[in-house]
Amino acid sequence: MAGPEEVFALICKYFIEPVGRTTLFGHIGASLGRVLIGYSIASLAGVTLGLAMGYSKTVRAIAAPLFNIVRPIPAVAWIPMTILWLGIGEAAKIFIIFIGGFANTVINSMSGVRTVDPVLIGAAQLLGASKWQTFRRVILPSSFPYVFAGLQISLSGSWMSVLAAEMVSSHEGVGWLIITGMNNANTAQIMAGMIPIGVVGFILVSLMRWIEKKLCAWNDRSR
Amino acid sequence: MTPGDNIVEVRNLTKSFGDLLVLNDISFDVKRGDFLCIVGPTGCGKTTFLNSLTKLYDIDRGEMLVNGESINLKKHNVAYIFQEYSTMQWLDVEQNIGFGLKIKKRPKEEIQEKVDKVIKLVGLEKYRHYYPNQLSVSMLQRVVIARAFATEPALLLMDEPYGHLDLQLKYKLEDELINLWEKTGTTVIFITHNIEEAVYLSNRIIVLTNKPTTIKREMLNGLPRPRDIASPDFIALRDQVTELIKWW
Repeated sequence: MAGPEEVFALICKYFIEPVGRTTLFGHIGASLGRVLIGYSIASLAGVTLGLAMGYSKTVRAIAAPLFNIVRPIPAVAWIPMTILWLGIGEAAKIFIIFIGGFANTVINSMSGVRTVDPVLIGAAQLLGASKWQTFRRVILPSSFPYVFAGLQISLSGSWMSVLAAEMVSSHEGVGWLIITGMNNANTAQIMAGMIPIGVVGFILVSLMRWIEKKLCAWNDRSR
Repeated sequence: MTPGDNIVEVRNLTKSFGDLLVLNDISFDVKRGDFLCIVGPTGCGKTTFLNSLTKLYDIDRGEMLVNGESINLKKHNVAYIFQEYSTMQWLDVEQNIGFGLKIKKRPKEEIQEKVDKVIKLVGLEKYRHYYPNQLSVSMLQRVVIARAFATEPALLLMDEPYGHLDLQLKYKLEDELINLWEKTGTTVIFITHNIEEAVYLSNRIIVLTNKPTTIKREMLNGLPRPRDIASPDFIALRDQVTELIKWW
């Protein structure tokens, strides 16, 4: 079992010398790239579906049963089917990351719409707002804090799925570092993969919180 | 149409929830520039009455005409102030006040001009860039009232807007409302269960019965303004309305 000094020294070494095909920077960059693509698709699809499910009873009635069955299945359980459907390339990895982030965005976006104060909707309609104006000027901004909370949880979910994603035949990435470390019984390399996952995850969540404070100043000012 | 003509005509308004008949064949007129207060016993269906007027509820029978035409919220400039605070949390005071005008797609310059005018009338100039969660309860209600007046409504409907406030604040906001009404000449229909408030604000009072609700009496209120709630005439009118509302 590697001690802290050995792990620290190894991480420093990996920043300079390649491990596998690239340095630790390269591995972090490869994972981040996959996560950003998977997360972006999950966010776009999740927010759209969530808002639609919150707004329309018909969409909710159609989508909710299927969504509730798919939602509890963890990202790692999707690996075999993903390989069958998408092979072992980048698309498969991105799909696993997408699964890791999708559900929370849908749930929060839907909750955001469903918890809009009906008095505000009534006030807008009585001022003559059309359905589209009510959605754009009341429902959407009112549900924004929920949507953003979902995006934050989803980002963590997507980043945590990177290990599962890189179990699908990868040659770089922090997940690959851990998996090859496990295969070679190299605990220092496992730690060298784990620590960047934690640090980068922390940085990403902090970044999202900062963006939320900027965009939802009205929701945060008095805190 | 000359000032004093009917702006609102309510004909045979009837509304039930299932087997429960709430509003039973209500008809009345409102003249341009009127301050009409509608009072009635608690639970008689005052809010149902207002929501039926504005078609927030489907009615069983009857109609409400504004300027001789069936009410259409997109066409007729009607504003509604709820009992609950309906400020938009994500908009600052200035944006909240201009919200109705933005919905009506008025030009930016016109919105700014009207917001500036109304914000002064309600005394919120210093708070124009504050968000609702930074304001007091009375300020929130002022924002909502300013939003309604900014659209220069032909008709302003108010559903117990001061129901949640303490007495001192209520008196202050009532005076502000009278001031705004006198300056703008807006027609107001004000729902309240508070008889003193109705006598203080109105120039006409409609007293409703218990369910199934009908109109018990329409009364003119010609007390001089500013009104003194301790004056004998005020007390006499208040007692008269109180007697009419008693159902026990």
